[in-house]
Amino acid sequence: MNLSTFRPIFRPYKKPPTTPKPRQPIRPAQQTPQHHPFSSTTRLQKRSKKSSGTDPRITNIRYHLSHPLTPRPLHFSRTRSLRHWTIHRAWLLFLRKRRAAEERELERQYMSMRSACEHLRLMDGNGNRVTEEEGGGQGPDPARLGAKGREVGRLYRSAMLKRGVWGSVPVEYGRLVTDFPAREGWNYAWSAR
Amino acid sequence: MASTPSIRQFTACIRCVRQIPTANGRRRLLSTSAVAREELQTQAANATPPAPPSNPPEGAAQNASAHQVPEYMQKWGTLDPQMVENKKQERRLLRREHVQPVGSRRRRAALRRSALQKAVEVPFEQLPYQCFQEARKFLLEDRQEKIKEIETQQLRIKNLMEQDPQLSGGLAAKETRLRSMRKHLNKLIILADINDPVVKRKFEDGQGDMNKPIYRYLADQKWRKYKRLVLDQRITQMSVIPDLLPSLDLTADIDLGFGRKEVAPGDFVDSAISEKMPRLNVQTFTPGEKLVTVVVVDADVPVPEKDSFTYRCHLIASNISISPTQTSIPLQRIAHEDQKAVDPAAKKIALPWIAPWAHKGAPYHRLAIFVFEQNEGRMLDVVKLGKTKRSVFNLRSFADSNKLSAITATLFRTKWDDSMAGVMERAGLKNRINVEFKRKKVEPLPYKRRTERMR
Repeated sequence: MNLSTFRPIFRPYKKPPTTPKPRQPIRPAQQTPQHHPFSSTTRLQKRSKKSSGTDPRITNIRYHLSHPLTPRPLHFSRTRSLRHWTIHRAWLLFLRKRRAAEERELERQYMSMRSACEHLRLMDGNGNRVTEEEGGGQGPDPARLGAKGREVGRLYRSAMLKRGVWGSVPVEYGRLVTDFPAREGWNYAWSAR
Repeated sequence: MASTPSIRQFTACIRCVRQIPTANGRRRLLSTSAVAREELQTQAANATPPAPPSNPPEGAAQNASAHQVPEYMQKWGTLDPQMVENKKQERRLLRREHVQPVGSRRRRAALRRSALQKAVEVPFEQLPYQCFQEARKFLLEDRQEKIKEIETQQLRIKNLMEQDPQLSGGLAAKETRLRSMRKHLNKLIILADINDPVVKRKFEDGQGDMNKPIYRYLADQKWRKYKRLVLDQRITQMSVIPDLLPSLDLTADIDLGFGRKEVAPGDFVDSAISEKMPRLNVQTFTPGEKLVTVVVVDADVPVPEKDSFTYRCHLIASNISISPTQTSIPLQRIAHEDQKAVDPAAKKIALPWIAPWAHKGAPYHRLAIFVFEQNEGRMLDVVKLGKTKRSVFNLRSFADSNKLSAITATLFRTKWDDSMAGVMERAGLKNRINVEFKRKKVEPLPYKRRTERMR
C-alpha cells in the first residue's frame, strides 16, 4: 500500500536507507555530519531563496494555539434559515412517505400470502373450492379436519407445519422456560368479557 | 467573547439610542424566532429595494432637522442604518442619529454593494439553490396531493350527510362518523400549508391572517408551548382554579393590561393603576365570532368575624363579541360607549368596575379575571345581571345559572400600598382606611414553650 497520501507535505527530510558507505577517517572540519542538520527546516524549503515569511508550521501552531475549543456558533440569516427549514421539512416528508410506502408494500405482501393460504385451506383434492364448514381449522389449530376429511386443505396443513423451522429443535420450545408451562401455548379464545 | 454576540454592538448608553419606531411601536403577538431588529431588516429588504446611498433616507433627514445638528456633524453626510459599513460610520450614526446599525456589518456591506450595482432582488421562492428548489418542488407536489385529498374528503362528507341515517347505522353513529371525518378534513387543511416557508415567515412576522386555519393552528401551537404553560401554572399555583371554578381548560390566549402597562399573570398591581378598568386581549383559536362575558372576582375578601375569607365581584361585562381577528376587549372604551347608550338592555357592563382594595396588614388579594363564552352565542340580559350582589359572590353558581363556559382566565394581585388610602377614599370607603389587620398572637403549646432546659 502506498502511504504517501497520508504523509504530511512538509516533513523533516530523511534520507532513504542506503547501503552503509565504508568508514572514512574523521576530519576535524567535518565534526557535524552533513545529512543530520541542526535546523529542522526541510531542505526543499531552505533551498528556495524566495522565502515568503510565512512558515506553514508556524501558521499551524498559531492557529491551534489561538483557536478556541468550542467552534464558532452556527448563525444563519433569516432567509438562509428558512431555506434550511424548507429543505429539512421536505426531507422529513420524504422519509415519512418512504416509510409509509414500505409499510404498504409489506401489508400487500402479507395479505396476498394470507389469501393464498386461505385458498389452499378451502381446496379439495380436485382443486375445487369448498365451503367454510367443509374446510379444516385455521389459525391456532390448522390440523383440525373439516367435514370432508383429509382431502380438503392438504396443502394448507402441510404448509402450516412448523417442522424444521429452527433446524432440529421443535418450534414449541421457542418460549420462556417456566415451572408450570401451559398445555396450549396461547389461548386464542380468551377475551376480556 | 466573540462567540456571544451582544445586543448592544457598540459602547453606547442605552438611553442615547433612539428606539426604532417600527420595531417598538407595533406589538408582535405571534412571532417566534425573529427579533425586532431582524424584522425591521426583512421588512426593509422586502418592501422596498434599498435606496442608493446618494439620496438620504427619510427618517434620518427628519431626525436631523428635528434636532439642531452641529455643523461638523452635518459634514458627515447621510448615514443609513441599513448600509453603514465601517466602524467610523457606525459611530457617527450613533452619535448623530442615535440609531443602532441594523444587522451585521457583512450584511450591511452586501446591501450597500447591491444597491450600488442596482442589483435586482430575487424573490425568496426563486432563490437559485438547487437543493432548496428541489425541496420546494417536492413540497408543492405534496401540497397538490393534499388538496386532492381535501376535495375527496369534502365529497365524502357531503355524501354521508345526504345518506339516510338508517343506512349509516343510526343517527348517533352517523354523527360520530361525520365528526371524525370533519376532524380529518381539518387536519388535512393544516397539513396542506404547514410546510410552506412563506407561511412560516408571515407567521413569524406577525402578519398571519387569523381567519385562515393554518395561522390559527400555528398561533395555538406557539401559545401552548410557553404562554399557556405559564398562565396555567399561575392560575393553579395561586389556587384560582379550584377556589373559584372547579376546573378550567384554557383554550384562548389572554393578555391583561392597565392603560399602557402590561401585567403578567399573577403580578402585583399598584392600586393607583388598577383604579381604572383593565384592558384585555383575548385571542381565540377557533373560527367564528363569540359572545363573551368578563367577570372579575376578588377571591380574598377577609371576614374578620368568622376569621375566614369570602369573594367579591368587581365587574361583570356581557355580550362582548370577539373573534380570532377581533381580540381586543377595551373595557374602558366599552364603558364610555355604555354611557352614551340610552336603552339599558343595550349596555354591556352589567356591574361597573370598583377599584380593588386591600386593608393594611391583610394578605394579598387575588383578583381573578374570567372570560366566559355565552351559550350558543345568545345575548344575556344585562339588566338582570346588574342585580347580582357583589359581596359573597359565587362564581360557580353564576356560571351555572347563566349557562356560561369559561374559555380562559388570568389574575393579578393587590395589597396595601401607599396609594391605597387615596383609592379607598375615592371609592367611598373612607371610614375603612384606618382598619389594620394584625396577626393573632398564638400561644405556644405547653410542650413547645421555651424553658430553662432548652436554653
